[in-house]
Amino acid sequence: MNDMQWAPIGSEPLPPPLPPTRVDFTGDRSAFRKMVTKGAMLELVTFGFYRFWLVTDIRRHLWTDTSIDGDAAEYTGRGKELLIGFLFALAILVPIYLAYFLVGIEFERWQGFASTPLFISFYAFGQFAIFRARRYRLTRTVWRGVRFWMDGSGWAYSFRAMLWGLLVFLTLGLALPWREASLERYKMRHTHYGDLRGDFAADGWTFFKRGWWLWLLSPIAIVIFPLAPFFYAEFKAREWRWWLDGIRIGGVSLSSKLPHDAFYGLYWKVIGWWTLLSAIFGAYLGGATMLVVTLSGVPAEQAFGPDNAAKSIPMLVMMVIGYFALALALNIVMRVYLQRDLWAKVLETVEVHNIGAAADVRGSGELASALGEGFADGLDVAGF
Amino acid sequence: MSEVSTEIPAQSARPTIFFDGVSSRRRQVTLALGQALEIAEEGGAPVSWAYADIRRADSPAGILRLACTSAPSLARLEIRDAALAADVTVRCMHLDEHQTSRRGVVKIVGWSVAAAGSIVCVVLFGVPLAADRLAPLVPKPIERRIGDASEVQVKTIFGRNVCEDPSGKAAFVKLVNRLRDAAGLDDDSVTAGVLPTSVPNAFALPGGKVYVLRGLLDKAENPDEIAGILAHELGHLKHYDNMRGLIYNGGTSFLIGLLFGDVTGSSAVIFASRSVVEASYSREAEAAADTFAIEIMHKLGRSPKPAAELMFRITGKEGGGLTSILASHPLTEDRLARMTREDRPPSGPPLLTDKEWQALKGICGSGKI
Repeated sequence: MNDMQWAPIGSEPLPPPLPPTRVDFTGDRSAFRKMVTKGAMLELVTFGFYRFWLVTDIRRHLWTDTSIDGDAAEYTGRGKELLIGFLFALAILVPIYLAYFLVGIEFERWQGFASTPLFISFYAFGQFAIFRARRYRLTRTVWRGVRFWMDGSGWAYSFRAMLWGLLVFLTLGLALPWREASLERYKMRHTHYGDLRGDFAADGWTFFKRGWWLWLLSPIAIVIFPLAPFFYAEFKAREWRWWLDGIRIGGVSLSSKLPHDAFYGLYWKVIGWWTLLSAIFGAYLGGATMLVVTLSGVPAEQAFGPDNAAKSIPMLVMMVIGYFALALALNIVMRVYLQRDLWAKVLETVEVHNIGAAADVRGSGELASALGEGFADGLDVAGF
Repeated sequence: MSEVSTEIPAQSARPTIFFDGVSSRRRQVTLALGQALEIAEEGGAPVSWAYADIRRADSPAGILRLACTSAPSLARLEIRDAALAADVTVRCMHLDEHQTSRRGVVKIVGWSVAAAGSIVCVVLFGVPLAADRLAPLVPKPIERRIGDASEVQVKTIFGRNVCEDPSGKAAFVKLVNRLRDAAGLDDDSVTAGVLPTSVPNAFALPGGKVYVLRGLLDKAENPDEIAGILAHELGHLKHYDNMRGLIYNGGTSFLIGLLFGDVTGSSAVIFASRSVVEASYSREAEAAADTFAIEIMHKLGRSPKPAAELMFRITGKEGGGLTSILASHPLTEDRLARMTREDRPPSGPPLLTDKEWQALKGICGSGKI
């Protein structure tokens, strides 16, 4: 059989396949930590507006220190683009919110709570935003002087996501692997690197076989909640590995040896930090209460009794400061562990096969606007 | 420099790579530092970059990656040799001109603080002003539509059928009409009803709909108690509090969401700050409705105190401290204290006869729920 298939190709000997190339991540962890710490503080004093620049800096750091076949990638997006995209998205979202409000009233008049399904339209919009935000990020991703880009329609994607979402809902989550496979296929088939076209070779069945028992066991995690991080880490690792195994760009393919227990440490570290920081916050609140009570000289019950709102103001200020400090610290922890460390952990398991196919690719594709990122920001949806 | 002789093999060991921005081909090149930066590939066309156009691009440690504003935008030159990189760096005077500098960051902070300041001012002064001015201008049909919508919701929660016992209804209508006339509201502006649920409460909806829940009637001991509460709700109607609240809440949640970057306003910070801001606005409106109720009751020659006593019987003593900042109503004990100050011996006739009062209490039928 094989001989017959080979015959028409010709007599020229096939070159031996090149060994797979590795992906190296050389990012300095303490530099990243300093960057997100500074960024989190700036986010605080700018009421969050600095997030556009911080997100850009994080991506620049992660992209630049990731090298494939010895050449580092580059992120060319800028914070200002994100800010402008956000403002444009606002200009579009405001009338939509108003329309939503008015349509909602008409629905409610007809039947109580009939407008609840209108939320679904926001879900659809969120999916659109995820697609368009991905397009923005890809067109800012450059490797060897050629950028990635995307075509396809955000609304077509959103429509698929909605139908699959409904199916996942009806099957109580069992259809999730097929949903992810289908959506990923849509995204990857509309992904390009120069004149190479992407594809997604993994299927839902493979993912299902790797994770079905997690679905079965998930009710246990609700009862015994310390198990939940294990389950989630297990699920995420399997999902990542399945996803990486499926990625194709032209003749280039990826594979990953990500172990199933790769994320246990990461999630437990985050939980550990979270517990520690919450305990510190609790102790701080206790200390602040004591301080207020001793300084104002009124007993605790009276301080929190009626007619004492004025005296509780210093307490409130201290609480707000404590809350912001807690949020800031948690932000840093999340970014260091769940963005930087996870990125490094995943990349060290990735192998790139047949990178030679990307040795001489012609650049093409236009830059996409940051509007999609703006929508994603405005609607509070995240995508990767 | 004495190292010159060792530098040349080092340079060949750490090659300089050029990507022309058109194709992904990795070109090994040699550099000549003349009038401009000359990039020469063996067998390829030479490229020359003017020093003034060269900018630094992001690169991993140990590599100097350059771009050129007059070349294709993605063309990159990667210099891996430290000495050569230093040589090129000193010649490029605008190398870091495009980077966000410390001044750039200060500018971002400055503009953000200005933007936040203006949003806070609008939330504190602009939106309440807009709500006060716009609410009376909302056309009646629109207000009525909003009212219809919320009425459907309310009835879904508290029961579909308004209590209809004939003699009870007659008493209720008599009470509402007396209060309405005293309040100076138009004849067609108020529709009132009793809903069959054990929750003790009363509320006004947009479009002049006032509802008393049966639980409140059960707890009430005399007509003045119910009258005071109804007068309070009529105060909300008179002051357009529903529409004001709608405009105000919509406006603040949008603006605060804008400030923290989540227009849907779902995250914790937004929820918390919104609650505090909106509650203070609502407390003001409640206090104003109380003032109105006191006026009406005085006008009818009755005391406003029984209504506060009824509220106190239902809520008991409410907490203070932090919860008072988040409360949408003034504390019941404060309201009772205020109504007690306004207490006057009755100078007008009772609002309902004993018989009417008993009928009103039985408006939902006795054994139905």
